[in-house]
Amino acid sequence: MSRIRAGELDVHVQRLTPDAPLDGDAPIVVCVHGLLTDSLASYYFTLGPAFAARGLDVLMYDLRGHGRTTRPPSGYHLERFVDDLVAVLDACDVTRPVHVVGNSFGASVAFGLAAARPDRVASVVVIEGEPPTGEWTRHMADGLADAKTRLAIDEVIGWIADNHGAHTARLSKAANRILQTTTLAEDIPRSATIAADLSAVRCPVFAIFGGDSGLSAQVPHFETHLERCRTVVLPDQGHSVLVERTAELIELIFGWVRDTSRTRTRVR
Amino acid sequence: MSIETTAADEVTVLARLGEMLRELLEEYGLDDAEITMDTTFHDDLELESVDLVALSGQLREHYGDRVNFATFIAERDLDEIIALTVGELVRYIVASLRATA
Repeated sequence: MSRIRAGELDVHVQRLTPDAPLDGDAPIVVCVHGLLTDSLASYYFTLGPAFAARGLDVLMYDLRGHGRTTRPPSGYHLERFVDDLVAVLDACDVTRPVHVVGNSFGASVAFGLAAARPDRVASVVVIEGEPPTGEWTRHMADGLADAKTRLAIDEVIGWIADNHGAHTARLSKAANRILQTTTLAEDIPRSATIAADLSAVRCPVFAIFGGDSGLSAQVPHFETHLERCRTVVLPDQGHSVLVERTAELIELIFGWVRDTSRTRTRVR
Repeated sequence: MSIETTAADEVTVLARLGEMLRELLEEYGLDDAEITMDTTFHDDLELESVDLVALSGQLREHYGDRVNFATFIAERDLDEIIALTVGELVRYIVASLRATA
């Protein structure tokens, strides 16, 4: 089993190293998944192998409480997820700055790392996510409290099974187990935040949104406040960008990582 | 390669894969599951996609680079992965081992 000790946790990690490293010294991409129904599998079955085939060094892991990583009963503030990520990098002997790809909540972790440890981050790639600002904690508080109440009701799971299929219903039950057995829903809204002007984020940021998801409304804010920022909005697409638009993401993110790495090497 | 040899290989690989799966299932308290070629990972064993990732780690430990589960998975979309049977993986492993023998 690919488990490593990182701080207080046994973390499930998967690393795909390239046979032919890009530019001789493969850029390292760390993939951070979303909350509750998500795991590193979302990357392992989408971007991970394609990135490794193109010469990138890909590190994927399960967040605390998720997938096959330890599920402590408490300690789910964003800064704990950021500390875990630093511990994973240390445990994997990754000392070079990394490109952090974050999907949904994973993007908030990526921004959190960029703000707390700029020395460890080469760039942040946001897939349908938000920086951990005060406004973000309010969205999360509402969404998580709602999920914790509803997913505990058998009729709701039955409705999900009827309307979205047995697989989604099973994922919802698994999400409910996390919500009922941990303080995640209470902790995340009480996370440490960064200022809304995003001044804490100094690294290059590439943000990809689905046009039909409310999150794409952040584009003007990102472009105004982030020093080096590129945004792409995929039309006719909701929140599930990673799974539904995999082929486009592979090209977009690979190109970003390659070009950003080459620029870094030149200015160094 | 004769049909008899292929069948023997499949039986051996199925037994080894069954051991790996029981190890994974043990953590969920489900180590007595019956595992055949027709068993589906998702519906029968109730394994999630992340468990298949963990399985790939065990396959790598056992077979080394001769069996590339990441490639096997990359060629399938999520729906196909959900519908995957133990037999499909067994046949892939046997074919990979034969190609590198």
